[in-house]
Amino acid sequence: MMPTAEADRSGFSVLEQLLERRSDLWRGGDTPVRSDGLPTGFPALDQALVTAGWPRNGLIEILVERRGDAFGLVLPLLIALSVQPRWLLLVDPPWLPYAPALAGHGLELSRLLVCQAGEQAPWAMEQGLRSGACAAVLGWDADWPVQGLRRLQLAAAETATPALLFRPVVRARQPSPARLRLQAEPTTAGLRLTVHKQRGGNGGQQIQL
Amino acid sequence: MQWLALHLPDLPLEVFARGQAQQDQQTPLAIAAGERLIVCNRSASAQGIRAGLTEGAARALCADLRILQRRPGDEQAALERLAAWAMRFSDQVSVVPPQALVLEAGRSLRLFGGAETLCGLAQTGLASLGYQARCTLAPTPAGALTLAAWGLTDPVANHHLLRRRLAALPIAALGLGPRTEQHMARMGLDDIGALLRLPGAGLAERFGQALQTQLERLLGERPDPRRPFTPPSRYHGRLDLPAEVPEAVALVFACRRLIDELAGLLLGRQAGVQRLDWTLLHADRPPTRFQLGAAAPQRDPERWLLLLRERLERLTLPAPVRTIVLRSETLRPLAAHQYDLLPRTEASAAPDPSLLDRLRARLGNGAVRGLCLVGDHRPELGWRWRSTDEPTIAKSNDPGLPRRDRPLWLLPSPVPLAERDRRPYLDGPLDLGHGCERIETGWWDDSPVARDYYVATTARGERLWIYREMHGARCWFLHGLFGDGPSG
Repeated sequence: MMPTAEADRSGFSVLEQLLERRSDLWRGGDTPVRSDGLPTGFPALDQALVTAGWPRNGLIEILVERRGDAFGLVLPLLIALSVQPRWLLLVDPPWLPYAPALAGHGLELSRLLVCQAGEQAPWAMEQGLRSGACAAVLGWDADWPVQGLRRLQLAAAETATPALLFRPVVRARQPSPARLRLQAEPTTAGLRLTVHKQRGGNGGQQIQL
Repeated sequence: MQWLALHLPDLPLEVFARGQAQQDQQTPLAIAAGERLIVCNRSASAQGIRAGLTEGAARALCADLRILQRRPGDEQAALERLAAWAMRFSDQVSVVPPQALVLEAGRSLRLFGGAETLCGLAQTGLASLGYQARCTLAPTPAGALTLAAWGLTDPVANHHLLRRRLAALPIAALGLGPRTEQHMARMGLDDIGALLRLPGAGLAERFGQALQTQLERLLGERPDPRRPFTPPSRYHGRLDLPAEVPEAVALVFACRRLIDELAGLLLGRQAGVQRLDWTLLHADRPPTRFQLGAAAPQRDPERWLLLLRERLERLTLPAPVRTIVLRSETLRPLAAHQYDLLPRTEASAAPDPSLLDRLRARLGNGAVRGLCLVGDHRPELGWRWRSTDEPTIAKSNDPGLPRRDRPLWLLPSPVPLAERDRRPYLDGPLDLGHGCERIETGWWDDSPVARDYYVATTARGERLWIYREMHGARCWFLHGLFGDGPSG
């Protein structure tokens, strides 16, 4: 037993020395916490995310069971962003975004742009991101190929504009280039979220809102 | 004063051929006026075709030569469009038929940084529209035009130099017609210099006062008023394609020429346009028409080109295109860029409209919309689509009612729900919670509603907005989804 433990310890100390000397090495567990995210409006969710909120740049994938689910999850973000003189682009929403409710929660309606794009949805979302005229771009589902997601992730990262894509939960098994992947399901006690993946942090957390 | 003459030697050819890039102009093409050819393209001249040949002789030299009859009307229209385009260089432009323009350039010289730069800009600008031009600067308009027509393009700085330059030109440069030219040749007058050395009175007696006047104007000894060109209040351009084009995307090159011309007019007029009407003419089908719209008056040709590309990409042509016509709406004055004394507050600034233009060009005008509230208690009438052209109404004037207790999603039309054990049913019995909201209104028009609304919860925990009709069959309907949003 002893030799193994000793070997362990020596290995451990070598690692420690390396970590102290080099700035480009760090432990996976304690990734630098960057709290530059956009507040989600739900403290429990902010806490679970390394960015302490929605990542500012990159694709955010929200896996839902039915089209239209979990729109309320991003509503506080949209409301906060609607004070800026930029569009909130909704590409192919599954139902009619109901103006009286959105305005009732404090969203500035004049910033909302609803676009019916059909097959052109990936193109429209990318245009929205690249234009610099959008505070956020939202899309629903579509059976997008991974390349489409990658383009979107790239556009969102390069332009520092959040892109939110709602996708059917069956896609959870497909690999995705998204920066953050969440699953959202309604329960009688409220929305239950599962973090599937977040860049620079751990996945697997469950949050009950 | 300095005058810039733009002489277009190949204009009769270019009105036919400019829809195609030079390197693509492979088919030998010549333009004839009556029996004789007046101009031909490079590919034709490489095969020995030249101006002055009769059609028969030309065909003998080159069997696949295409010969088209000159169209003076099109040439005049092209000249006028170019005059409008040239207003970017000067506010005084005159059309000199059949194939030249002359611009007062005294002030432009300083603005554009000298004769060479100005001539270079004019030449490259015209080349981008598909025209080759010879540019000459001289102190008199007639002098500049004569030198340009003869192919002498070195700028002439003063009257003295102009006299010397003109004196060296042959009599033919004056364009007096073959009879007078022969007459002068018999008199031993072989260049303009010889003509100028003759005493004025004798010259007028022999050849008429007109020639005397012409010479005096050439040299600037007599005023030479030119009627300034008045630019049109809208653009109307037409471009005949040298060969039929079967694919929409291949039209971009030719359309660009029209857009550049339009941009020149807009620049000269300090104006923009918000709508462009395109018509594509086919041989034996009704024309294809489409519109491009911008959210605000637009001058930048690149923007229009971008919108056009988007549109052409999703356009399927019923038949190959022969001619492209571009019409603009009436030009709108473009507000000079305004700088505010105080920075504008963020909320009052409008988002950048160019994204809208791009989306609409590709997806169609109706595919991009906003939302606004309407003052009506019927849920389906409490909102409407807002066209992106509509000005956004200030919040305080909003007649509609914001409602926190409403669902985030509304179904396009209510969906009937099944009923089991006298309760609405959707993947299980629905929990109706407590309390309902009665909406009974609209009795004065065609679509009255009388409904009891409930916030129902499914077995999954999803919240729905459902109602029961108060009259008739008292059926249940699903009208909205809360999208698990925060509760009212």
